[in-house]
Amino acid sequence: MTRTETAQTAATRPSMALAGKATVDVALRLGGLFAAIIVVALIFIFINPNIANLNMAGSVLRSMSSVAIMALGLTLVIVVGEIDLSFGAIYGLAINALAVLWVVNGVPVYLAIPVAIVIGALVGLFNGVLVTQLKIPSFIVTLGSYNLLYGITLWVSNTATYNPAYPPPGKTVPQGELDFFVGLTQAVGSFRLSLEVIWMIGIAIVVGLLLHRSLFGFRLMAIGGNPAAAALARLPVRSYKVMAFVLCGALAAIAGVLDFSFIQTSQPNTGLSATFPVFAAVIIGGASLSGGKGTVIGTLGGALLLAELQLGLSILSPGAHVQQIFLGAVTIGAVALDLFLTKLRKSRAT
Amino acid sequence: MTGEVVERGISLRGVVKTYGATLALAGVDLDLKPGEVLGIAGPNGAGKSTLVRMIAGEERPTLGKLTFDGIPWSPVEEWKAVAVVHQEPQLFPNLTVAQNVMVGRENSGRKRPALSDADAAVMDALGIGHLRDKPLEDCSLATQQRTEIARAVARDCKVFLFDEPNSALTAEESDELFREMHKLAQSGRIVVLVTHRLADFVAHCSRVAIVRDGKVRVILENEALTEDGIARQLVTESATTVAATNRDGSRLADREPVFRTRGWTHRNSFQQIDMEGRPGEITALFGVEGSGARELLRSLAGLEQCTGTVQIGDLQGLSALDKLTAYVPATRQLSLYSNFSVGENLLVRLGYPEIAGAGYMLKVRQMKSLAQTAVTRFLVKTGTTTQPIRSLSGGNQQKVAIAQALHCAPRLLLLEEPTRGVDIHSKAEIYRLLRDYADQGNAVVIFCTEVLEVYEAADKVHVVSQGRLLPSLEVGGFDQVEQLATAVMSLEQSGRPEAA
Repeated sequence: MTRTETAQTAATRPSMALAGKATVDVALRLGGLFAAIIVVALIFIFINPNIANLNMAGSVLRSMSSVAIMALGLTLVIVVGEIDLSFGAIYGLAINALAVLWVVNGVPVYLAIPVAIVIGALVGLFNGVLVTQLKIPSFIVTLGSYNLLYGITLWVSNTATYNPAYPPPGKTVPQGELDFFVGLTQAVGSFRLSLEVIWMIGIAIVVGLLLHRSLFGFRLMAIGGNPAAAALARLPVRSYKVMAFVLCGALAAIAGVLDFSFIQTSQPNTGLSATFPVFAAVIIGGASLSGGKGTVIGTLGGALLLAELQLGLSILSPGAHVQQIFLGAVTIGAVALDLFLTKLRKSRAT
Repeated sequence: MTGEVVERGISLRGVVKTYGATLALAGVDLDLKPGEVLGIAGPNGAGKSTLVRMIAGEERPTLGKLTFDGIPWSPVEEWKAVAVVHQEPQLFPNLTVAQNVMVGRENSGRKRPALSDADAAVMDALGIGHLRDKPLEDCSLATQQRTEIARAVARDCKVFLFDEPNSALTAEESDELFREMHKLAQSGRIVVLVTHRLADFVAHCSRVAIVRDGKVRVILENEALTEDGIARQLVTESATTVAATNRDGSRLADREPVFRTRGWTHRNSFQQIDMEGRPGEITALFGVEGSGARELLRSLAGLEQCTGTVQIGDLQGLSALDKLTAYVPATRQLSLYSNFSVGENLLVRLGYPEIAGAGYMLKVRQMKSLAQTAVTRFLVKTGTTTQPIRSLSGGNQQKVAIAQALHCAPRLLLLEEPTRGVDIHSKAEIYRLLRDYADQGNAVVIFCTEVLEVYEAADKVHVVSQGRLLPSLEVGGFDQVEQLATAVMSLEQSGRPEAA
């Protein structure tokens, strides 16, 4: 468990060596988060030395991946200064749409998966257009679409659960398609690392390039930082906001497809409870709800810390209530730490 | 009017205020007497706003002392004694008028507070008694200002600062506001008026203190108190010689204009504006708030809906405004990104292909060198390009804001009050940037509220009054800034209807 984490902190070190003052600041910010990840890991290992193995590290990474993928999408929306509450419902809709299309109606999985992802993107488009064209606050739009989508999910899934390995009576799922689908997240390598982790890393790299190395990301940050100035400077405020919602929707749908492949059972209310952990991951990762601030590495760190806490606490099994209490405490604590470090940085600046 | 009557007033002696290395106030001596209306005037960056903020208790003096009736006094601690009537009232829009007057002094324990008779009397005296149950957000700006005054009278304020109170009011509303102002003065309170409208000083103040370079230079009263007199005092001695070159109007006369408007009309701000600007020419639009000058400038940036024709270079209409103009708003909050570094702020308006290449990926190395170049070219004083924008001084932040716009390479550069809140040194550098940019064959239009800025920055000035553009004056034709001030004031007065 510790090995994977030190690998990630090591990645921040060369940038510290390059050391503009700003990069030191970023390191100071991320340093707190990754220090917390290591300390929490050490505490768990101290309590129960048996959990210090690579299998466990793989499990942590697997269980963070769908949260991380959704959180990356949410990071884009939060950076541009908006909020999306509907991604959990998009995740659920994608799973159920895929199940109904493929398992019940026999649409080939190779077609059904892209359709599910496009549905997610379309919901994002719907959110984005309402926010930018009708000027309804994104909190309200996405609160509405959260419930709307849940309703649609109940309707299309007929409130049933589906498992492609055990299709409903009279339906068949071709073995090749099933193998392909399960293969999307199968465990590989000597310590059974799920492919879902690789998907997460790939998506993180793409989103990272998009947010931190592309013109799109640069302008996203500008728009989130000062929307009025961005409009006066004739930056494409509206279309970029819509794009952020679309990407958030598509990523939530992708997370849904991957989780469905891993869990192999669809449930009508799946994903709804993901809303707050995903938000927590983004906020712990240092994104600011007022916009203009947020990093991919921070969001990944937030998701990692949460997954680690969740898995560690469930193995030590002091009861489900403890996980929940920790989730709350860590969210508040992380933001408090961030504010403290910001103050520290400011006093360094003067 | 009820309330305790102040006996001798406020005295400032040797008041100094420094911000880091910048000297904002360099030893101010000023007496504020009860029963009179004192005007405070001064050009941008002269220390006027610092002085007002100090009397309002928002700043502490670095040196020197304030006394109130002979007793040492700190408005920071006794802020309740001072009321500031802003252009934008600082009230609770979700409460009713009466609740706004009461809030903070309810004194009713757990009961829901009820309007006391004294408060009701104050509101009646101000003519807002009948509006007491109306939500404030549904009231006119004039009513909101009265509510603010009522609130201050009810808590027994002794000092009233009117800070540009009537810039958004109609002529009738501002007359009524000034009547209330005089009533306050007559009841023995200290009243201070700060405004850009020189006519209001003449009409309503018994004395006007002119602040220049951090000091009270002169106090005008009686016969000396005229618009022309104030205008001259505002500009005298402080004009720099930066822009004395390039003022030869004939040099520009034969060039084809960069932009031209014909019958340019805005629904409620200005009508039938025909103007043009030649390459290398800096045009100033001079006008007080509400004259239409600011809206005219914004309309050239495509921010207001207008009818008429506009041509810039070879392009016509909206597409010309969109592609060939760049606009720098008056406040830096509308152009700078606090989450960005200095370098990122400089480059934010650029796109493909300047800072992004294949696949719209950023060219990181190019950005670094571009930012470095911009820092040198635009004379931004900063340690590195990666430090936060907030770490720069106001003047340097303003240079960054202007640099953002210049990076778009507009044919027509539009600026609103380009040196508001900027120190003298940065001011000169900003004027030089504008001059250099114009000399590259572009046109520059600035909106000014101060003659000094016109004199220092512009080649010609159009006074805008009542939504009409008056014929331009060639700035080069005036040897002294005082003469220009006189000419501009007389134009302004002639454009004004008799009422004022």
